[in-house]
Amino acid sequence: MGNEAIGRGIIEAGCSVAAAYPGTPSSEVLESLVRWKRELNHPIYLEWSVNEKVAFETAYGASLAGARAVAVMKMVGLNVASDPFLSAAYLGVRGGLVVVVADDPGPHSSQTEQDSRFFGWFAKVPVLDPGTPAEAREMTLRAFELSEKYQVPVLLRPCLRVCHARQNVSVELPRSIADVGPFEKNWTRWAAIPRYRLVLHGELNEKLEKIREEEPEAKPVLLSEKPGGSLALITSGSVSSHVRDIVASDERLARVDVYKVDLPYPANEAALQQIVDTHENTLLIEETYPVLELQLLDRRKVTGRLSGDVPRQGELVPEIVEDVILKAAGLPLAEKNPPVIKARRPSLCAGCPHRPAFYMIKTIFDQAVYAGDIGCYTLGINMGAVDTCLCMGASVGMAGGLVRAPRAGNETRVVATIGDSTFFHAGVPALINAVHTGAAFVLVIMDNSITAMTGGQPTPASMKLADGSPAVPVDLERLVRGCGVDFVEVADPYDHDGMKELLLRAKNHTFDENKGVSVVITRRPCVRAPNVQICTDRFAVGPDCDLCMTCVKDLECPAIHYVKGEKRMEIDADLCAGCGFCVHICPSRAIEARGPQ
Amino acid sequence: MMVELVLCGRGGQGIVFLTRQIGEIAAARGLKVISSETHGMAVRGGSVNSHVRIGNFHSPLIRQSHADFLLSLDASETSNNIHFLKPTGLIVENSVAADEPGVRRVDAAGLARGIGRVQLENVVLLGFASTLDGFPVSVEEIRSQLSNDSRAQIRAMNLEALESGIVAARSRK
Repeated sequence: MGNEAIGRGIIEAGCSVAAAYPGTPSSEVLESLVRWKRELNHPIYLEWSVNEKVAFETAYGASLAGARAVAVMKMVGLNVASDPFLSAAYLGVRGGLVVVVADDPGPHSSQTEQDSRFFGWFAKVPVLDPGTPAEAREMTLRAFELSEKYQVPVLLRPCLRVCHARQNVSVELPRSIADVGPFEKNWTRWAAIPRYRLVLHGELNEKLEKIREEEPEAKPVLLSEKPGGSLALITSGSVSSHVRDIVASDERLARVDVYKVDLPYPANEAALQQIVDTHENTLLIEETYPVLELQLLDRRKVTGRLSGDVPRQGELVPEIVEDVILKAAGLPLAEKNPPVIKARRPSLCAGCPHRPAFYMIKTIFDQAVYAGDIGCYTLGINMGAVDTCLCMGASVGMAGGLVRAPRAGNETRVVATIGDSTFFHAGVPALINAVHTGAAFVLVIMDNSITAMTGGQPTPASMKLADGSPAVPVDLERLVRGCGVDFVEVADPYDHDGMKELLLRAKNHTFDENKGVSVVITRRPCVRAPNVQICTDRFAVGPDCDLCMTCVKDLECPAIHYVKGEKRMEIDADLCAGCGFCVHICPSRAIEARGPQ
Repeated sequence: MMVELVLCGRGGQGIVFLTRQIGEIAAARGLKVISSETHGMAVRGGSVNSHVRIGNFHSPLIRQSHADFLLSLDASETSNNIHFLKPTGLIVENSVAADEPGVRRVDAAGLARGIGRVQLENVVLLGFASTLDGFPVSVEEIRSQLSNDSRAQIRAMNLEALESGIVAARSRK
């Protein structure tokens, strides 16, 4: 897998510190490092950091202390880490520092389609853009070299189709651990005040000019056998693989010159311009923003995203790339029947502790505004229990604003929901703010003791670190109390009556007695977590069922469905995880326990 | 050899597992393989597919009307992926319905339940598909690949599921 290839590159480069926050499509990079650390008995230090900003700062600190270091995240994670990222470009690094940022054009599992190459440009950080898993490994090694040579952070930007692609990748033995010597005190650099920042900015500009002029990756490389066609394609990264296959599979495109740029920022503008000047037409195909296109100074013979010839949003899948190329080559478009896709919507797993929690929140708070967050539990939208989803931690921050609209007789009641890992990541400062300002809302922290959506990584409350070594678990209740919250209570979401009673007390505390924010922690492990024993109790729908559909519409359990033709409900014993919550919520008490399966 | 396969189903049915098995077997034979998987939000019971391309390809994605096989673990997902199949391509579907031209069906879920774990339906379907003409990996290769699993119980269950799919295919011939 591409992410494993990047992990392998990190190990081979003699890197000794890796910090990451999980996020699709980046999570398997650190997971593969865990495996290689064990298999190779490698001394690399690994951590799942509390968020991407801390991951970057951990890696940056290690670099200043002389080590090769890497921070890994998805592209929206770089937004969180942007403050230290931009500043670090000015200050520079000591040990090679690589930031792996996985992009998700589509988007398939993300909030935006932002292009991290563009972010690199904004931050004035060089960017390498791999097209395949094998290239991703090679570029990881190269990124460390460039970083040390120019003393700048280097961004490695794999897209989803590189991260989650699998192919054979040849590997080498790890090099010895890199060390450029211990931290050297120099406050005019590492703690520079604005006057020195100006000097450092000038130095950074010089480094970028040198990379643009001298590094071979900044120049476009011809992939076709010999140049001479009238149409040139310039591409970069994952989409370059589609371009290569399409051009190779169509004889009519044999005379098209295909160029690829491995370091799209800072690209060698003169070499790019020369391609444009020596061809009748040049088409830019890049994912997802026009980074190379914008670096061309004369775009009169250029088509791409800016000209509208390449769609401005959405993933560049092979079908779209084929049409764009055929059109640029003046050839008729391939006939395609647009597929009719009725995609199944994702849903919380059967037995997921979030489901009964959402059900009970909806029952108690009814028409409240539900501020949601990022994680599996965003799927509470299916149950009408999530009304907003902005970014990591925004449920708490936005709740503080949703209660502030200056409307006469404002009765807006707000209930925020957030997962444990997301709360640690970005919810804590927002909760302190809510307590301090007296914002009155109910916050439900859905604690499944894991970062579930991305594959079950540990949280700061876990007993173990990324590599299984012992951690100091941070106590969630103490943390919430430490934020200044008086009302902090825990309930088991499977416990129907206990949940109901607790949520009513929170409602009373916040909305009736007006005592400010109350925090309810719903605690039960994720059903997909390792070592969680799934309950073997099974249930059946008895004769009292009147087909009211409460279990399907309100509880939205994927194990329960309507059997057409027979006009009855059925519980799928294969999917059921035995939580038994449906027994409590069935209005006609028609669901019966069947005992263990 | 140039063979392209699409696998589809619901999240949690073991599509990624099948993709890896096919990829590893082909790679072990010295073939060039590139494949693509679905992760993240979509796998919470949503629609999932993966692509496997064996041959001299760089991209992990199959273009419309290029796939030789569509392996479907959930009949309701077949129509979402049928546009990838070439006109002469073959659908192999987990379903109780009868075969029809271009579609071979097997009740993989039923057979897996008979073994005691419906989760084995993916391996049953793979066993069934491996007996078909032109399928890129053979019965023997899959058997030897699954025998490599160090976890004795999982190894035994996978092998039983594989045989059950093979028997279902051969009993029809």
